[in-house]
Amino acid sequence: MTKEHANWSPYDNNGGTCVAIAGADYCVIAADTRMSTGYSILTRDYSKICKLADKSYMASSGFQADVKALQKVLSSRHLIYQHQHNKQMSCPAMAQLLSNTLYYKRFFPYYAFNVLGGLDSEGKGCVFTYDAVGSYERVGYSAQGSGATLITPFLDNQLKSPSPLLLPAKDAVTPLSEAEAVDLVKTCFASATERDIYTGDSVEIIILNAKGVRSETEQLRKD
Amino acid sequence: MVGKNCFAIASDRRLGVQLQTIATDFQRIFKIHDKLFLGLSGLGSDAQTLHQRLVFRHKLYQLREERDMKPETFASLVSAMLYEKRFGPYFVQPVIAGLGEDDKPFICTMDSIGAKELAKDFVVAGTASESLYGACESMFKPDMDHEELFETISQALVSSIDRDCLSGWGGHVYIVTPTEVTERILKGRMD
Repeated sequence: MTKEHANWSPYDNNGGTCVAIAGADYCVIAADTRMSTGYSILTRDYSKICKLADKSYMASSGFQADVKALQKVLSSRHLIYQHQHNKQMSCPAMAQLLSNTLYYKRFFPYYAFNVLGGLDSEGKGCVFTYDAVGSYERVGYSAQGSGATLITPFLDNQLKSPSPLLLPAKDAVTPLSEAEAVDLVKTCFASATERDIYTGDSVEIIILNAKGVRSETEQLRKD
Repeated sequence: MVGKNCFAIASDRRLGVQLQTIATDFQRIFKIHDKLFLGLSGLGSDAQTLHQRLVFRHKLYQLREERDMKPETFASLVSAMLYEKRFGPYFVQPVIAGLGEDDKPFICTMDSIGAKELAKDFVVAGTASESLYGACESMFKPDMDHEELFETISQALVSSIDRDCLSGWGGHVYIVTPTEVTERILKGRMD
């Protein structure tokens, strides 16, 4: 009577954790560089962060083949936008595009858990967090991936983001300085690495601000 | 969580059945003797039954040995009792915390069939255990005194249970030093 189920799945989980924090005039986007399958490590230096536009960086954990395909689709859509409008896409516009792209495959989704970080048109940091089928929200900070449940409560505690339901609407960006936010991200990854087997090796941190973009790499435990 | 010559044990206060909340003041941490506490997460009925059986065994031990049980011995007792039910287990995850010989803090946790996990820093159990691992790992420092330990365990507990739908309604924290036991109630999100 029971339906016969496939013993082959089109998906795999390559693990990893992504975090982004929005500041008053900066944005920090970070992801670990470990790619795994099952209990094995495929590589210790795989970048999960992709530059979609000058002021939009996307970090994605989950199934990296789907992530690569998603990155390709978004990059080409951005190129077309640049040809048609003669300017770069703003971060909120890219956020909407990502959501639509994900929902387009509602019935065979991209197994990708994304965090989009960047600067909006006023120069303020913005972070958008997504589920696999495109439901998104602008937030002050977010974590996605295997270490997300370990990191998110700690970020709640340190950044004390106001609820989006409060009136008058309070700013979600953190008052922390850029250096403090980068330090916080490093602490988060160090803690997640201790307890999550899929997170480790090293963390790639991208810092976006008015002056431009900067990259930092911090080594993590490799076990 | 272990501190300098002291320990803290904390739990949330919700008792629920999937999405329904039955009680908002459920006691999950039980005192075995002045320097030994047991926390039981999981099925409420099994937690209460196991607690009753362990109190019974400890009272018998006190009559025979004319002293309180050491935390290491108690942990072995809990482990043995859980493994007795290997093929029809109690659906609980115990957290044991006590002050052993020379008031040295001892903590351990177990799975539902009695596999002991000893730790020097902290142990966690329950539906929010992953969140608790993250929060405790980031906030823990060795050799905290009882006031700092209270702050740390409270912040870690409240941040973790606020992100878990099945835990909540504040927290119960016990801070135990060689001379006194302090019980405090924490306010968290009431959902």
